Amino acid sequence: MSSQGGVQYSKIAEIKGPLVIVDGVESVAFDELVEIQTTDGQRRLGKVLEVGNGKAIVQVFEGTTGLSISGTSAKFAGKVMEMPVSEQVLGRVFDGLGRPIDGLPDPIAEKFIDINGEPMNPEQREYPRDFIQTGVSVIDGMLTLVRGQKLPIFSGSGMSHNILAAQIARQAAVVGTSDEFAVVFAAIGVQFSEAEYFKRSLEESGALKRSVLFLNLADDPAIERIITPRVALTVAEYLAYDLGMHVLVILTDMTNYAEALREISAAREEVPGRKGYPGYLYTDLSTIYERAGRLRDKKGSVTQMPILTMPSDDITHPIPDLTGYITEGQIVLGRDLFRQGVYPPVNILMSLSRIMKDGIGEGRTRADHQEISNQNYDAYSRAQEVRALAGIVGKAGLTGVDLKYLEVGDGFEKEFLTQGVDENRTIEETLGLQWKIVSLLPKNELTKVKDKFIDQYYKEQ
Amino acid sequence: MVAKGRIVWVSGPAVKADGMSDAKMYETVSVGDAKLIGEVIRLTGDVAFIQVYESTSGLKPGEPVVGTGNPLSVLLGPGIIGQIYDGIQRPLKDLAEKSGSFIGRGITTTPVDMTKKYKFTPKVKVGDTVAPGSVIGSVQETDLIEHGIMVPPDHAGGKITKIVSEGTYDLETELATADNSKTPIKMYHYWPVRKPRPYQSRYDPTIPLLTGQRVIDTFFPIAKGGTGSIPGAFGTGKTVTLHQIAKWADSQVVVYIGCGERGNEMTEVLVEFPHLKDPRTGKPLMDRTVLVANTSNMPVAAREASIYTGVTIAEYYRDMGKDVVLVADSTSRWAEALREMSGRLEEMPAEEGYPSYLASRLAEFYERAGRVRAQGSPDRDGSVTLIGAVSPSGGDFTEPVTTHTMRFIKTFWALDAKLAYSRHYPSINWMNSYSGYLADIGKWWGDNVSKDWFELRREAYGILQREDTLKEIVRLLGPEALPDEEKLILEVARMIKIGILQQNSFDDVDTYCSPQKQFKLLTLLVDFYRKGQAALREGAALADIRAMPVIATLLKARMEVKEEEIAKLDALTGTIESEFKKISGAKITA
Amino acid sequence: MGVDSALEQTVEKILQNTEQQIVSSLKEALKSSQSMLANSQTSLEQEYDKILAEGKKEAEKLEKQIVGNADLDSRNKQLLLVEESIEKVFEKAIKKLQDTDRNNEYSKLISTLLQESIDAIGTSDITVQTNSKDKSVVQSSLSKFPGATLSSDLIECLGGIKVQSKDGTMKFDNTIDARLDRLKPLIRKDIASKFGR
Repeated sequence: MSSQGGVQYSKIAEIKGPLVIVDGVESVAFDELVEIQTTDGQRRLGKVLEVGNGKAIVQVFEGTTGLSISGTSAKFAGKVMEMPVSEQVLGRVFDGLGRPIDGLPDPIAEKFIDINGEPMNPEQREYPRDFIQTGVSVIDGMLTLVRGQKLPIFSGSGMSHNILAAQIARQAAVVGTSDEFAVVFAAIGVQFSEAEYFKRSLEESGALKRSVLFLNLADDPAIERIITPRVALTVAEYLAYDLGMHVLVILTDMTNYAEALREISAAREEVPGRKGYPGYLYTDLSTIYERAGRLRDKKGSVTQMPILTMPSDDITHPIPDLTGYITEGQIVLGRDLFRQGVYPPVNILMSLSRIMKDGIGEGRTRADHQEISNQNYDAYSRAQEVRALAGIVGKAGLTGVDLKYLEVGDGFEKEFLTQGVDENRTIEETLGLQWKIVSLLPKNELTKVKDKFIDQYYKEQ
Repeated sequence: MVAKGRIVWVSGPAVKADGMSDAKMYETVSVGDAKLIGEVIRLTGDVAFIQVYESTSGLKPGEPVVGTGNPLSVLLGPGIIGQIYDGIQRPLKDLAEKSGSFIGRGITTTPVDMTKKYKFTPKVKVGDTVAPGSVIGSVQETDLIEHGIMVPPDHAGGKITKIVSEGTYDLETELATADNSKTPIKMYHYWPVRKPRPYQSRYDPTIPLLTGQRVIDTFFPIAKGGTGSIPGAFGTGKTVTLHQIAKWADSQVVVYIGCGERGNEMTEVLVEFPHLKDPRTGKPLMDRTVLVANTSNMPVAAREASIYTGVTIAEYYRDMGKDVVLVADSTSRWAEALREMSGRLEEMPAEEGYPSYLASRLAEFYERAGRVRAQGSPDRDGSVTLIGAVSPSGGDFTEPVTTHTMRFIKTFWALDAKLAYSRHYPSINWMNSYSGYLADIGKWWGDNVSKDWFELRREAYGILQREDTLKEIVRLLGPEALPDEEKLILEVARMIKIGILQQNSFDDVDTYCSPQKQFKLLTLLVDFYRKGQAALREGAALADIRAMPVIATLLKARMEVKEEEIAKLDALTGTIESEFKKISGAKITA
Repeated sequence: MGVDSALEQTVEKILQNTEQQIVSSLKEALKSSQSMLANSQTSLEQEYDKILAEGKKEAEKLEKQIVGNADLDSRNKQLLLVEESIEKVFEKAIKKLQDTDRNNEYSKLISTLLQESIDAIGTSDITVQTNSKDKSVVQSSLSKFPGATLSSDLIECLGGIKVQSKDGTMKFDNTIDARLDRLKPLIRKDIASKFGR
C-alpha cells in the first residue's frame, strides 16, 4: 500500500444531501476513497464523484447528518475503496461497508481488492451450462438456474421472496460434483427480521460456515447501500476465481439500492431519466449484475440471485425494467397466487430463464425437458385464457377441451407449483409432475412435444 | 501541431482538459498517466471536453492529455472476420493476453495480425488506370470470404506504376503504386468511423434478405440494403431473434454489435457460431461474422463508438460487392450513452433527458444502410442491411428512442410481452408490425418461389386480421356468439399462429425454414381454411373439423418435416382432402 | 518508503522474541478447539438417537447443522486467539517505538517525515505539531525547512509530526501512530503468516 494521499482538508464549500463538496483540493483522484471527520472525531467513509478546478464532490456513505461546514474535514486516502479478502471471510458477518459486526477481528487479508471490480472480458467468459438443482419444482422444471447466471426474483412488498431465496440457498446443488460452494448474502436496507431469518436458515442447515453475510439494515445509512452489493460481489469473485468455489450471491433488496442512487443523483442536480432515477441507472445496475459469470480458465463461478420488490407490483417500473434488460431472465412472484396461499407464488407466464436451454436436455437433465416445459407453459397459458372466458360465459359455456384446461390450471398450481418450504424435489420428480399435469389433456393437444416423447411419458388419465 | 494539455476536471467518463487549442473535434487523445483512449467531443476556448473509452477511476487533475492528430478510425483489411472487438476495434483476445480475464486499461493493440501472410492475386497490371475504390487484387480471408483489396477511397488512384506479382504477403507490404499519389497501396487502410464510406450510386432495395424465420420472411420481410427495427420489452426475445437473423440471413458477412448488452450473450455467439454451418455453403458461420462487443458494464463512451465501428466495417465489405447484415443490440443503450455524455456536458435536454440531436444521430446511422454500386472498377453491387434492436423502457413504444427510430426504418417488428408470456416465440406481434418492402420484393418471390405467394400471404394475413376483430366479440360475449364460419376463422388463425408464426429457435429442424418450406406450410393452412369453409357450407359440423387428426400433423410439420424432405408436405394436401371428404360426406348422407 | 520499512523491521524484531510464546498459546487453542469438536460428536450421537424416529432426512439436516456449527465455533475461537497474539505484538511494538532513542537516526526520520508532509500538502508554509519527547528533535530539523514553524501546542502520539498549512485548510498526519495504523493490515498479515494461518 502506498503512503500517498492522507492529506486532510478542512475547507468545506457545501454540504447537501449525501454530498460534501471540499474546496482547495489538489492531487485528488476520481473515485478515490475519502474519510470524513466530524468535530467530535467520528469518521465516515465516502468517495470522490467528481474532481476539478480545486473542488472535489464527495459522496458520504454513512450520511451527512450532523456534519457542519466549519467542523468537518476530509482525508483523501490515495486509493479507491478496497475490501480485504481471504478464506477467513467465510462464516463471517459484516456491515454494509464490509466491516465485521460479529464480534470477531478483521479478517487477515490475503489481498485487498478494488470493490468496483473490472468488467469481465466477454471473450474470456465460459458460457453457463451447469444445471443447478434447487429442489424447487417450478424453478428446476421451468425456470432452470444455471451456474454463472444472474436470475433475479421480482417480488412485491410482503411476499415470500426471502423464504424462497433462503430455500434455494439451502438446497442448491449441482448434481454429480463435489466442488465446494458458498453463499454470499447481501442485505440492502432490509428489516432486521428478514436478515435474521436468512442467517438462521443458513445456520440451521449447517451452511453458515460456507457463507458470508453483509448486512445493511433498514435503519443503517442509506448511501452505504451503494457499497454493500459491491463488497459482497468482491468477496464472491475472490471465493470463485481465487479459491475455485461456486458462489451463489443473494442481493436483497435491489430497490433500496436504486433509491440510494436516486438520492445521490438528486443531490447532484442531474437531469433525471424516468421517475427521477438517473439516466445511468441501467449502466450502474449492470456493473453489479454483470459480475455474475464463469471464466474459461477458472474453476469457480458466481451465480447471482438479486431480489427486488417492485413498487406497486409494477413490472414496468424502472428498477425491475432495467434489471430485466440486464439479467438472464426473471422469476416473478404473483400477488394473486400469494393471496391464495400458494408457495412459491411464481407467476410462470411472466417468468423466464434465458439460459435454461443450455443447462438442460440430454446428458444434463433429460432429453424431453425443454419440450415438456414448453408444453406446460402452453397449457397453463391456455388455462388462464379459459379461466377468463369462464368468467364471462360460465363453466356451462365451455367446451370439453376447455374444461380439461381448467383442470390443468388447478393441477399445475396445487400439485406442481405448491411445495413445502423444506421440500427438496429431485429433477426426476419434477419432470414426472410436469408430465402428470399435461396428461390431463388429450394427446392431440400436445403440440409442443415430439411424438416420441409422448409415446414415452404421456399417461392418459 | 499535436495538442498537449492537462486534465482540469474528471467526472465518470467525462474529462475536461485545458491547453488544448490545437485539438480538433473528434480527434482521439491519450488521457492521463495511464494513457487512456479518449475522443474530443467539444471545444470551448482552449478547453477540450473528452469522452474516455476506458474507466477513469484514479484519474487526477493535472495529468497530461496528448492529441494523436487523427479522428477515431478503424483499420480495414483482411483478418477482421471471425474477430471479437471492443467498441474501438481492439481484439478482446489481445486484451485478455495483456490483462487477463478482466479488462485492464491503457492497452494498445492492432485490430488485426499485421504479420499474417495472405496469398495475394493481382487483378490489375502496370499501366491500368484505377480510381478510388477500384479492386487491385484479392486475398482469401476465410473459406467464405474473398477479400477484395481496394484503392482506399481517399487515395487518388491513377495509372498503376508498380504492382507485386501473385504471392504471399503480409499486411504492411506495399502491393502497388498509382501515379496520382505517392502513398503506396497496402492490404489495409484506415477510415474514420463517423464518416460514411463513399459509393457510386444507390439502388432501390428489391431483393429480400431471407432470414429463415417465417414471420419475418413471409409476413414482414426486409430487403437487402434495407432498415429494420425490433423493439421489445425485456423477456420478449429480442436477442434470440437477432441471433437467428445473424445465423441464418443469406448475406455474405454479418456484423453483430453487442452494444451495452449482456456479456454471456456475446459468449454464446462466440461459442455457438463456430459450430453452426451456413445452410447455403456448409461452412462455419464464424467464417463470415465479426463481433463488436461493448457489454453493459464496459465503459459507456466506447458503447457510443461501437455502433460506428461496426457500421464502418460493414460498409467496407459492402464495397467489395458483398451483402452485409449489421445487427445492433441495442440502439437504446447507444442512445443512453449519448444521454449520459450529454448530461455531463450539461447540454439542454429534450425528452426524457435525451439530447435534442438524438433523432439526427439515429437518422445518420440508418442512412448508412443501402444497396449500392461501389466506387471504382470492376462493377460491384453490395448492400448493408441495418437492423437495430430497441429496448423501450417499460415496453412503452412511445418513448423517444422507439418513436424516433420508427421515422427512419421501413420494417418494424414489434415484440409483444403478452405473446412472450404465453410462449409464442418469436413474439412478433402481427397486428403492430409492418414492412415497407412488401411490394418491392413481391416480384422476387414470384420469380423464385411461386407466383401465388403474394396472394396467399394476403389471404393468410386476412385471416389473422379477421381473428383480431372477432376476438373482441369473444371477449365480450363468449365464442358461442359467433357463427360457425367465424369460429373456423378463429381455429385457422390459431393454426397459423402455432404452425407458421411460432418458430422454435432451439429446435434443430425448426430453427431455419427455407422460402420453399415457408410457402408450402402456408399453402397447406390456407388450403385447409378454404376446404373448411366449403365443408361448413355443405353442412359439415365444426366439431368434426376440429377433431380432424391432420390438424396436429399440420401444426407439428414445422419441426417434424426436415428441409430435405419437404416433398412430404405435398403429400399432406392429399391427407387434408381425404379427411374433409370423410366428414362432409358423412354429413350429407346423414 | 524508508520509514515504513523501519517500522516493519521493528515489528519483525519483536515478533522473533514473542513467536515462541504465541506458538504455544496457539497450540493450546488448537487443542481446545479439537476437544470442542469431540464434544460436539457426543452431543451429535445423543441427538441422533432422539430423532431417529423422526426420519432420516431430518437427521441428516441436524447432522449438517451440528457439525457445521461446531466447525465454525472452533474456527472463530482460533481467530480470536490469533488476534490476541497480534495485539500482543502490536503492544510490544508500540512500547519499543516509544522508547526509541531520539538519536541522529531519528532526526533523519523526522526530516523525511517533514519533507513528505510538505510534498503532500503542496506548500512549505506550515505549522508543525509534535509530542514533548520529539519537540527538540523536530525544532532542530525545522532549520532546513524555511516557512515551517513549530506549534507550541503538544499532541499525544508515539512520535512523528502533524502538519498544517498556515491557513488551516489542510492537515497531514505523519505521526508514527498514523503510519502504524495505515500499515496495520499488512503487519497483521505478516504476523498471522508466522503462525501458519
